[in-house]
Amino acid sequence: MREEMRQEAPQPYPTETPTVPAIELRALCKAFGTLQAVDHLTLSVEQGEIFGLLGPNGSGKTTTINLISGLATPTSGEVQVMGYDVRRHARRIRQMLGAVPQETALYEELSAWDNLDFHADLFGMARQEKKARITQMLELVQLQERKRSRVSTFSGGMKRRLALARALLHDPHLLYLDEPTLGVDVQSRRAIWDYILSLRDQGKTVLITTNYLEEAQALCERIAILDHGKLIAVDTPEHLKQIYGGSVVELETAQPSAVVDDIRRLPGVKEVIQEGTHMQITTQAGSLVAPQIINLVTGQGELRQIAVREPNLDEIFLRLTGTALRD
Amino acid sequence: MHITGSSLRVIWACLKKDLKSARSEPLYTLVSIILPLNVLVLMSLLVISGGLAPTAVVMQDSGPLAQQFYTAMSQAHSFMLQQATAEQADALIEQGRIVAVVTIPADFDARIRQNQSVAVGVKINNLNTDFTNDIRRALPLSITGFYARAELSVVTITPRERDAYPQDLGYIPFLAVPILVIGLMVGGMVQAGTAAAVEWERETMKELLLSPASRLAILLGKMGAAFLIGLAGAAVVLAFLIAVMGIWPVHWGELIGFTLLILALFTAWGTLLGTWLKRRTPLATLAIGLCVPLFFLSGPFGPISFFAPIEQLVARVFPVYYAIVVLQHAVHDFTLNTSGIGVNVLILAAYTLGGLVLATIVVRRSTLAH
Repeated sequence: MREEMRQEAPQPYPTETPTVPAIELRALCKAFGTLQAVDHLTLSVEQGEIFGLLGPNGSGKTTTINLISGLATPTSGEVQVMGYDVRRHARRIRQMLGAVPQETALYEELSAWDNLDFHADLFGMARQEKKARITQMLELVQLQERKRSRVSTFSGGMKRRLALARALLHDPHLLYLDEPTLGVDVQSRRAIWDYILSLRDQGKTVLITTNYLEEAQALCERIAILDHGKLIAVDTPEHLKQIYGGSVVELETAQPSAVVDDIRRLPGVKEVIQEGTHMQITTQAGSLVAPQIINLVTGQGELRQIAVREPNLDEIFLRLTGTALRD
Repeated sequence: MHITGSSLRVIWACLKKDLKSARSEPLYTLVSIILPLNVLVLMSLLVISGGLAPTAVVMQDSGPLAQQFYTAMSQAHSFMLQQATAEQADALIEQGRIVAVVTIPADFDARIRQNQSVAVGVKINNLNTDFTNDIRRALPLSITGFYARAELSVVTITPRERDAYPQDLGYIPFLAVPILVIGLMVGGMVQAGTAAAVEWERETMKELLLSPASRLAILLGKMGAAFLIGLAGAAVVLAFLIAVMGIWPVHWGELIGFTLLILALFTAWGTLLGTWLKRRTPLATLAIGLCVPLFFLSGPFGPISFFAPIEQLVARVFPVYYAIVVLQHAVHDFTLNTSGIGVNVLILAAYTLGGLVLATIVVRRSTLAH
């Protein structure tokens, strides 16, 4: 009981050791009965990095986040946040962590101000600092004029902005954002993105889970793709495209082409999809194989249009996991 | 227990937050406050309706002895009497509005004065054996009472009573105390349990669990708010007992102190159930469902020493029994067990602490599964 009631004073973040990864997962496993939600996940997120966790529903993203924040206990493996073991220093880690959960976890019957005021008290913020900081955060997310309104009267986007303000209120070193712009209008989404990008300049580490690949591409320096609790790939978006994508050649012919099998046999061709007069060919190296494709197609009929482009993240994701992100 | 300044601040923040939440839902809060009163009225009606058997008496003889017999029946504490003609009485029993018709024959006075036996007619609606048995027991008692009071030239045996307490206590005033305890139980448990379970239902528990605040401090704050709202409910019930039921407590200090302790106890156990069940519906069902068996188990009609040993053992497992003991002392100056009031109070305090510790353990072990 004595141990329980002793509340640690807020500790300074160990920024004096920037070489320590912000998050380090080693052979992390979490099972719910027979379901292996997280399967031997090994991952490292550097300090000051914006890192994206991507995966279809049920891939283990949220469980991983819960394990990092101490809301779930691992079946096996290790989780360290800023060099601290989650199991032994849970309270210290929570002090360093700001979270925007998917469900926002706001008290809808209270006002925006009361929600932030309560959060400040839970995190032991100094009274003198509290009022100024709440005002600053409300201004940041453009909710200052609605500070006395009940959260239940807010739109989905306003709630998400308020949840972001709450997560930032105690100036956390590590921020985790679960679907930060879900249900947010385009204008607010852009503002939130700008703010997330500015956090990196302040030296903060941001962990994002998102279903919007456009968002991951715009914000994240590195992306980890999870599926069935396993790490499928981890790299920068550009490297992922290079490693797993190659190039995509798109053709439009006058008549459905009969050379699909011949194209598939060309060296460097990974995949050929034909829909009527449209053909999409994924290659290892588009520019090298493109002339051969053109020769085959024009030998059989009229080629109306051709384009060579990089694959997008959706296509890479589909290839790696066998499923679209929103499935 | 070492409480730091920051923990006190968390306690105050959680208490303030829950009171603000309660204020934002005034109808729900009002229902919570009058819930113990509702239980009090409900249980009172339950015991009153089960206490007296509605009975019609057909007075075919209006002589003084027949009147005395009627009086003896009315003093048997078992009948709710009304006089009726034979036709009216038959109609009432056929309509199911009375349990029995007692007919005092036209020659009642004359036959008794001549020392001849009298047959008092009794027609019973034996659909409900509980009432039927009440009639079967109470009528011979009425006859005995009649003989004891009537100045007849027969040998009579009358009890010579020596009372353990200076005053008689009515059925309802005695029952009012266990009913008060049940009201505090339902009010405290539902209020505190709901405040805890709603955090899980609305997924705001994540905000609490992700904070570095002490789990015990969070629970103490939440319990504090539930306790204050429960206190308003307790005040309403006590006011009803005093102003409407006319029960004037003997020991006011004890009444206030024990009421606070009992409310704290059920608030702690409500918090435990709320954090454990994580849903309001099963919590409310359990709290309300528990109140009736615990009421009858914990000696509402007299000391549990009148019960069978196994029933006594079971009653002693639950804090309701000890709560009844201390409050009967506070309100009526009755001592219902030989342990002493201090020991009963300590047991209640231990239950309170136990509920709080268990609730803290449940919250500390709470994780979010997906």
